[in-house]
Order: sequence, then structure tokens, then C-alpha cells
Amino acid sequence: MSQQRNDVPTPDTTPAIPQVARGSKVRPRLRLAMVGIVILGAVGFLLVKGLGSSLDYFKTVDQAKASETQLGTTVFRLEGIVKPGSISQSTLGATFTLTQGSGSIHVVNRGSPPQLFKATMPVIAVGHFAADGSGIFLSNQIMIKHSASYIAQHPKRVTAGDGSKH
Amino acid sequence: MTRRQLTKWVGVVSLAAAIADVWLGLWVTPPDVNQGDLVRLVYIHPALAWVALYLAFGVAAICSILYLWPRTRSFTMDRIAAASVEVGVVFTVLTLITGSIWGRPTWGVWWTWDARLTSTALLAVMFIGYLALRRVPSDPHVRARRCAIAAIIAAIDVPIVHFSVVWWQTLHQGATVLNPNLTPTIHGIMAWTLLLSFLAFTGIFVWMLLVRFDMAVLEDAGVDDGLESALIDRRAEGSSS
Repeated sequence: MSQQRNDVPTPDTTPAIPQVARGSKVRPRLRLAMVGIVILGAVGFLLVKGLGSSLDYFKTVDQAKASETQLGTTVFRLEGIVKPGSISQSTLGATFTLTQGSGSIHVVNRGSPPQLFKATMPVIAVGHFAADGSGIFLSNQIMIKHSASYIAQHPKRVTAGDGSKH
Repeated sequence: MTRRQLTKWVGVVSLAAAIADVWLGLWVTPPDVNQGDLVRLVYIHPALAWVALYLAFGVAAICSILYLWPRTRSFTMDRIAAASVEVGVVFTVLTLITGSIWGRPTWGVWWTWDARLTSTALLAVMFIGYLALRRVPSDPHVRARRCAIAAIIAAIDVPIVHFSVVWWQTLHQGATVLNPNLTPTIHGIMAWTLLLSFLAFTGIFVWMLLVRFDMAVLEDAGVDDGLESALIDRRAEGSSS
């Protein structure tokens, strides 16, 4: 490229006041202020949204059980592993047990879970404890927390005792 | 080899690598035990994020520091930073779109406000703000300095996005390759295809950066030429009357 004329290092001694090339002296500043307000507004919105819900994204089964009375019927995200053999699906939804270590919570979900939902998968249920104090978690949304491991399927291999292929 | 030829060959090789990646990703690699065919999104989404976060915004941050550094203060640095941010914003938006497409069938939701997704959205908004800042009319030196500072501040979010899945609870899974143990959890042909996707998109980034930089040089020259020809016209008007 032949256009190198602007590339000469020039010591910058000008004050940080915008030297206006075209238009009036007020408009570019006004525009700069408007751009600034829009960006700050957007960043602020995302920060509030983010800090409000991101950092404490879910409660584990143990955390939820420990603060069950305190939580009451507040809506929160509950994380746990789907206990094998606990799933019962119907047209209205699904019921299953979420476990973590020794603790477990029975979940009643309205609506059908996502396609990857199955036993031993870590899932997040969005909902609240039942008002009757039974300790049942009533949810209306299930999210699947899949892992960062990717393992190839081998469809021609033997079928295990429980019907799953490895 | 001239710059123009180099640019052309980077483009051709990257395109060929991208086509090979599509072929391997859609036909050759096997489905995943849990995700089935949905796993094929791993051959595009992480590579887009890699280009956007680490390459594009990394280059933009480094060139912005070099611009502010008195001994390397040049418009070349400013132009590379601007070109890099522009390409980076495109790749960030593509990362968000492909992530959303992957999230709906696997997680069950198009979007959720977890730390990884929120910080990535924040990154996109901040660098779109950088591009808006460049459109504010001002002296080129003032604009370059202002934008360099903005790019460095926005780039602080890059490590936050990277470590968000380690520091906080997220729905988004951790890293497959650049995880804290540095032990990839993907193997065989799947890992090689993943590597090829990173190389292909890195090449596409370099090509886009070179083309965009040359355009910026031509744009600036065009503005100067326009001013010169306008001056000649005015002088001609003055002498004829």
C-alpha cells in the first residue's frame, strides 16, 4: 500500500477537546453524549440482569433443602441429577427425583421435558416448593445441563443389561 | 508474493478448510452418546467464539495498547484495531446465534441469563458501542485515542467470559479443550475436526482482517482525495469568474 502519509508517529500535544472537522461544535458532542448514554444504559441493564440472577444461577439439592423453610414458595432454579428409575412421564408432564449426594427432592413438572432428559443427566428445574410443606418441588420448566465431554456413539456395539448402548 | 496475492491465498485456503470442516462435521464424525447429531454444532460454535473473543478482541486490545504507547503511536495500529473489532462483532453475534440454536434442543431454552451468556452479550454490546464511537465525527487523533481506551476497557470482559463457567454456577458447560486441567474431553476424529474448525475460522478471520484493513486505508485516502479535488474545483471556479 502506498498511502503511508498518516503513519508518521506524531507526538500528540493537543488537549483532549474534540476538534470538530465538520458540522457545528455542539452536535458531535451531543451525539457523543447520546452514544454514551445508550451504551451505559445497555451495559447497566445487562449488569443488573446479570448480577441479579447469573452469579447465583441455581441452588443445588442440598442448598435448597437446607433453606427450605426460608425459601417458602419463592421461585428459584434447582439443580440435581435425575435419579434412575424415578421418572414417570404423562401427557401433563413428568415427575422424577433429583439427587445430589445423600439428599433428594421429588419434582413434579408441568409440560414435557426437553429431548435430552433422561436418568443420570444433571438438570435444572425452575419452580418452587409446594405450599403444603410436603417438600415436593413444583416446576414448570426443565433445562438440561449437558457436560463438555463429547463421546462417539458406537451403534454396532453390544447392548448393556439396562437396554443402553455403549 | 505481494500483499494482494497473500490475501487471496489466505482466503482460498481458509474456504477450502471450512468446506472440509463442514464435510467432516456433517458426514464423517459420529453422533454423540448424549446429544446425538446435535453434537455437530461443536464444529462451528466454539471456533466462532475463539475467533471473536481471543483473536479479534485480543488483536484489538493489543493494537489499542500499541497505539497509546508513545513510541508506536500510528494510524496503522488504530486501523488494525478497528478492523479487528468489526470482524469480532460479526463473530460474537454469530457465536450468540449458533449458541442459541444449540441451546434450544439441548438445554431446552433459546436463552438464559447465566454468567457465560450474560457476559458474552455484554461483550457484544460494548464492542458495538466501540463501532458507534468510531462514527462520532472528531479529529482522527482524538478518535483513535478515545477508541483505543474504549477497546481496552471492553476487552477486560474477555477473561470474565472465559472464566465465567469456572467462577460461577452456569447452565453453559465448561471448556472442552482449554479447561482448568488442560485435558481435552473430546477424542479421535471428533477432536481433529474440532481442531480443523479452529484453523479454518482463524484463517477466515485473518482474511477478513486483511481485506477490512485495506478498505480502511482506501477509505481514508478517498476522503483526502475528495478534499483535494474539491479544492481544485473551487480554485477553477475562482479563476474562471
